[in-house]
Amino acid sequence: MALVVFVTGESFCTGRIRPAAKTASATKQKQEERKEMIRALYSAASGMTAQQLNIDNIANNLANSNTVGYKSRRAQFQDLMYQTTVQPGSQAGASTLVPTGLQLGLGVRTASNEIIFAQGDFSSTGNPLDMVIQGRGFFQIKLPTGETAYSRAGSFQLDSTGNIVDPNGNPLQPQIAIPAAAQAITIATDGTVSFTLPGQNAAQTAGQISLANFQNPAGLNSIGQSYYLPTDASGAALIGVPGGTDGIGTILQGYVEQSNVSVVDEFINLISAQRAYEANSKVVKAADDMYSQVNNLTR
Amino acid sequence: MDAISTSAASGMRARMESLEMLANNLANVETGGFKADREFFSIYTGDDASADPQTGDIQTLPLVETHWTDLSQGNLINTANPLDFAIDGDGLFAIDTQGGVRYTRNGNFRIGPTGILTAADGSPVRALGGGPIQLQPGIAVEMLPDGTMQQSGQPVGQLELSAFDRGSMDKIGANYFVPLDGAKAKQATGVVQQGKLEQSNVGAAESSVRLVAIMRQFEMLQKAMNIGNELNRKAIEEVARVTT
Repeated sequence: MALVVFVTGESFCTGRIRPAAKTASATKQKQEERKEMIRALYSAASGMTAQQLNIDNIANNLANSNTVGYKSRRAQFQDLMYQTTVQPGSQAGASTLVPTGLQLGLGVRTASNEIIFAQGDFSSTGNPLDMVIQGRGFFQIKLPTGETAYSRAGSFQLDSTGNIVDPNGNPLQPQIAIPAAAQAITIATDGTVSFTLPGQNAAQTAGQISLANFQNPAGLNSIGQSYYLPTDASGAALIGVPGGTDGIGTILQGYVEQSNVSVVDEFINLISAQRAYEANSKVVKAADDMYSQVNNLTR
Repeated sequence: MDAISTSAASGMRARMESLEMLANNLANVETGGFKADREFFSIYTGDDASADPQTGDIQTLPLVETHWTDLSQGNLINTANPLDFAIDGDGLFAIDTQGGVRYTRNGNFRIGPTGILTAADGSPVRALGGGPIQLQPGIAVEMLPDGTMQQSGQPVGQLELSAFDRGSMDKIGANYFVPLDGAKAKQATGVVQQGKLEQSNVGAAESSVRLVAIMRQFEMLQKAMNIGNELNRKAIEEVARVTT
């Protein structure tokens, strides 16, 4: 007897208080009533899924906390649609209106995990081909496919023909070659690479490194190995020489840029994500308990 | 149906709606700029309440008739991202979405491919008086507390900050609020902070306490309903027993 009223809810809830809802969207209302039994469960489940993704993201950041040039990512969440159970402004009585209505939210979704391009710490390596960009720029790397990839990881070496290459063996663009006999390699803050040959005092210029900048670096596509590719969202690469006024940055020789992951911050995020997951799982349990009590009303 | 069962059923239904609201709040405990929803209990008075004053037996039922959004300040976290903004105090950022102007507390902005400041979904952030904010590529952005953005010391635009009365906004998802018909935007008094994001204002500890309260109240109401059923059973089976 009691259960009938509970499930349909019509007999006491759409009476005098909500005439507008009954006439305008009677069918929709019925559908919502049916779904209502599982709304809390699905909201909590969406929260658990979102936190799971948050933890996946934190795990990747922590795994890369020692990766040179790695930029951390941060998950961003959004609330989902709202079901309007009572329309705001509907008639509450002969002369009163419902002021705000009743809206029930349906949970959360992960909107994006954006790349945080904050500068990482520098560590001194003493290797003359290690470089750090102090600013927003990216090194240009030519991939074997002919595409240009962009990277913040500035630990370079020489290959068998003397070209400056990254740890994957892909050449830095524009290509700069250093002869095998070169003694001291110097890279100026404006990217000019010079060297001296044995028995000579004057330095010779091998080339100038140019850097790329993007309108919206957060829109770049990560393809692994510290490489980024441009997308429609990031805009095309804007090429410039280091040290200019356009914010592209300057080059510092003999250092590498560490990952910008803050292990302490990530652990704090991990704790809060884990607790949020737990809280959502408690809601699942509570909803389950309550529905089980409803099922036990009739004997 | 008797009065005990009806009241209890109404109470159970109201607690379930409370649970649904709480579930949504907890699901959004990490959503930047999210504002918690709270239920607003009211009492439904039966049609016969005024008709029969002598008995004093007025039938009233608890009901979640409306909700209110807790617009209190969430914690500000430091992100060091120059395009993250948080409002300290009242006010909302205005975003020109395809569906019209929407308002949000989530200041996780970025620069679009054409150089305009956009929200996370790519919709342009509205400048004071309308229109987008055009930025120069690669030049550091500085934000003054009143929402004026500067590049190389030159102002490039000012964010529109609007405040609304409590209860005059609806949530539409994706962290957006939309003002109800006739709601007027007021001058916001909050200040904009750069490199920070506002966290959700859902208190996890407080929500856990409310979760326990809702469950226990639900249990009590279920017991009350069983008592009502038991009384009915006795009335039917024992009071009206015809003894031979």
